Amino acid sequence: MAELLRMIALSPTMSEGRISKWKINEGTEFSSGDVLCEVETDKASMDYEAPQSASLLKILLQAGETANVGDPIAVIGQKGEDYAPLLKGVGPEEGSAGRAQEPERPAEDAKQEAPSAATQPVAAKPVGKQPIEAGESQRSPKSAAEPAAQPAQRSPTPIAEATAQPLQQPAAKDAKSLPRKTPQAPARFPPSSPLARKLALEKGIDIRLVPGSGPGGRVIEHDILEFEKGMKGTVLFPGAGTAEPAPSELRREPAITQPSMKRLVIARRLSESFFTAPHYYLKKKIRAEALLALRATANAARPTKLSFNAFLVKIVAEALVRHPEINVYWRTPGATGAGIAGVGAAGAAAPGAAKETAVGTTAVSSSTVASSSTVASVSHPVLEQRHSIDIGLAVALSDGLITPVVRDCNLKSVSEIDAELVQLIEKARAGRLAPEEYEGAGFTISSLGSFGIDEFTAIINPPGSAILAVGAIVKEPVVDEGDTISVAQTISLTLGCDHRSIDGAVGAVFLADLAMMLENPAMALV
Amino acid sequence: MPELTYREALNRAMDEEMARDEKVFLIGEEVGEYDGAYKVSRGLLAKYGPKRVRDTPISELGFTGLGVGAAIVGLRPVVEWMTHNFALLAVDQVMNNAAKLRQMSGGQISVPIVFRGPNGPAEFLAAQHSQSLGGFWMHVPGLKVVAPATPSDAYGLLKSAIRDDNPVVMLEAELMYPWKGEVSEQEFLVPIGKARIAREGEDVTLITYSKPIRMVEEAAERLAEKGVRAEVIDLRSLRPLDEETVVNSVRKTGRCVVIDEAWPMASPGVTVAQLVNSRCFDVLDAPVELVSGEDVPMPYNHTLELAAQPSVEKVIAAVGRVLYREDL
Repeated sequence: MAELLRMIALSPTMSEGRISKWKINEGTEFSSGDVLCEVETDKASMDYEAPQSASLLKILLQAGETANVGDPIAVIGQKGEDYAPLLKGVGPEEGSAGRAQEPERPAEDAKQEAPSAATQPVAAKPVGKQPIEAGESQRSPKSAAEPAAQPAQRSPTPIAEATAQPLQQPAAKDAKSLPRKTPQAPARFPPSSPLARKLALEKGIDIRLVPGSGPGGRVIEHDILEFEKGMKGTVLFPGAGTAEPAPSELRREPAITQPSMKRLVIARRLSESFFTAPHYYLKKKIRAEALLALRATANAARPTKLSFNAFLVKIVAEALVRHPEINVYWRTPGATGAGIAGVGAAGAAAPGAAKETAVGTTAVSSSTVASSSTVASVSHPVLEQRHSIDIGLAVALSDGLITPVVRDCNLKSVSEIDAELVQLIEKARAGRLAPEEYEGAGFTISSLGSFGIDEFTAIINPPGSAILAVGAIVKEPVVDEGDTISVAQTISLTLGCDHRSIDGAVGAVFLADLAMMLENPAMALV
Repeated sequence: MPELTYREALNRAMDEEMARDEKVFLIGEEVGEYDGAYKVSRGLLAKYGPKRVRDTPISELGFTGLGVGAAIVGLRPVVEWMTHNFALLAVDQVMNNAAKLRQMSGGQISVPIVFRGPNGPAEFLAAQHSQSLGGFWMHVPGLKVVAPATPSDAYGLLKSAIRDDNPVVMLEAELMYPWKGEVSEQEFLVPIGKARIAREGEDVTLITYSKPIRMVEEAAERLAEKGVRAEVIDLRSLRPLDEETVVNSVRKTGRCVVIDEAWPMASPGVTVAQLVNSRCFDVLDAPVELVSGEDVPMPYNHTLELAAQPSVEKVIAAVGRVLYREDL
């Protein structure tokens, strides 16, 4: 029997996905496990694997288009089947079941549990209409009563006007491909009512960021008004990036572009971290000769060289073993569970089992996606002691930062860590990191040494509590114990801590110990 | 104000117009000796005599054409069709002669004629006699089409139709003839082409005409119990269509449901829905919903007969869709 294939949550924090490419064509047969399409999530490009063997009867969501988790993206079934009735269901009639879990809202996802992290499409949830409140609260008769004259007046810049035009064009060109009642917008827009688009334009809201509660994820007036409430005090992006400025006249105008989904996630996570976690910084300059000598010795007989980072990660891991008080999550009510490096795989409670107790309630299997849901909401702050040593390493990519995580570093050798890092970084560059590979760092290392930066401060990667910023190895004059000045290889370390979970003295003891171990790597063995 | 039935209101309108203007006469099957198949013309034969109240054979094309000819030479006939189902035989006279002669004669010929009779499904009349055919007439430029839903409007619109210098088709309904309503004792006209706001509301616009009005008003009442303030528009005239009243209402509410007991294809309902789509596009928060008769010949089985027509439940469900509410 033909059925709708729906967008599923390919990462724990994914609320919507954009099809970057269909791997098979309409009419093609596929087997369970075949890759049907590639989906761009908030973090990475993921393969969508077939949940069963069937044929792809109809593609509903074209490459480049975005759907909320739970929305239909295709029809699958046996060749020649009549699937028209199914498509009818995609329209307004659908959804009596209601949406079990509403996808996250970009601006305030923290209050809602992330969709359960199924990698198998069978777990996809039915999509439905979100009930909205009665009567006056859902509508604004005043704005509805005013005809469409206003947007142009309120949008003085050429770019805003250029954006206004496509907004008002009906989706006629797409109408033929689907039954009459199926909402279908041009690829630039999500399904949305004209009133919602008009309001979004007037309010300077990028409608693509607004989760739609109508049938098929249609954005309706109610959604815009709700989104506006949630966006107070947040930067809006009025330019939808659709304007193509004329070469000469508009050169003086700023080029306004729509940030990628990943960019938005980074912006949100780091803002939240920086503005809610009280950061303080501890600085320590270390001598790197011993560490460099160790690396040289280890690499002498190796065809491939172990990276400096691998040693760094290993020694930090050993320091964390000695200082578990650094390896903690601080969780507050309503705060984002997932950091830029995602969410705590370790230490997270199962969905629905909100954890109230503070320390050490959950031991951890570090790598399963299923256990990496956020603790959806807590009624008061909790401190979460992590038992595995999972260290994230910030990797700069052209389209933004990502933080692959090496698990259980205390149990791995430097060469194992190095091999994992090589693999993870390669995957990160290809945009193919799986959620379990970038989420759940308990501690993060960021290094800008390769850019020649001497020292810098970094923003904590939530929900972790500390981050180590590592500067370049530089030669400097140092004064030794005998008061003689010599030239030394030095590295500046800056430890950023969340004062809510790590007091200054605690952080200082850790950094001092870490520095000692880095200067004398043998101490890590003791 | 005295209460009249719908049929009494029509009778009073014809009586007054025949008294006012001796060019007005009534022609049709059973309009005279039998006082009308639905007793709309009761007493008129006795009052005005057989020259002005003419019984005819069962010959719709013939007596309709006779009426058109009489109108061309200056009389003001009221042609009663026993039902609009039978008028299908006379479509050529209405569509090709009555509707077009003014334009084809460069304005030299007027056809001041009224065609009237019951339209739409009643009960237990099976497929051939249960159909709403207003769209046939509404389709034709050169015709005016009115569909009063209250005794007062039946009275005022029939008088306007008789006085109009163009052919006017009037849609009545068997089940409406006994409907009672207040009709002013003072003589008055209801202008053709003006809709009536039957109920004011802010949340959704319900648009209908003719017999479904009571069902729609009941739906509006039930919606009010759930906090939805529905505005109900009774179109009264299908051609010309009162665009302003419709557009102003939907601009206020942002949501629209059209209720029409005709079939859904090429119907008055879809014409109204298209009007709303094109003129209210920017304020719509949901696609316009159409609650129509089902797209089938009317079943004789009574359960199916009822299921094939718009109902309070169908209207409320459609309102739920345009409001994105599942709790209605």
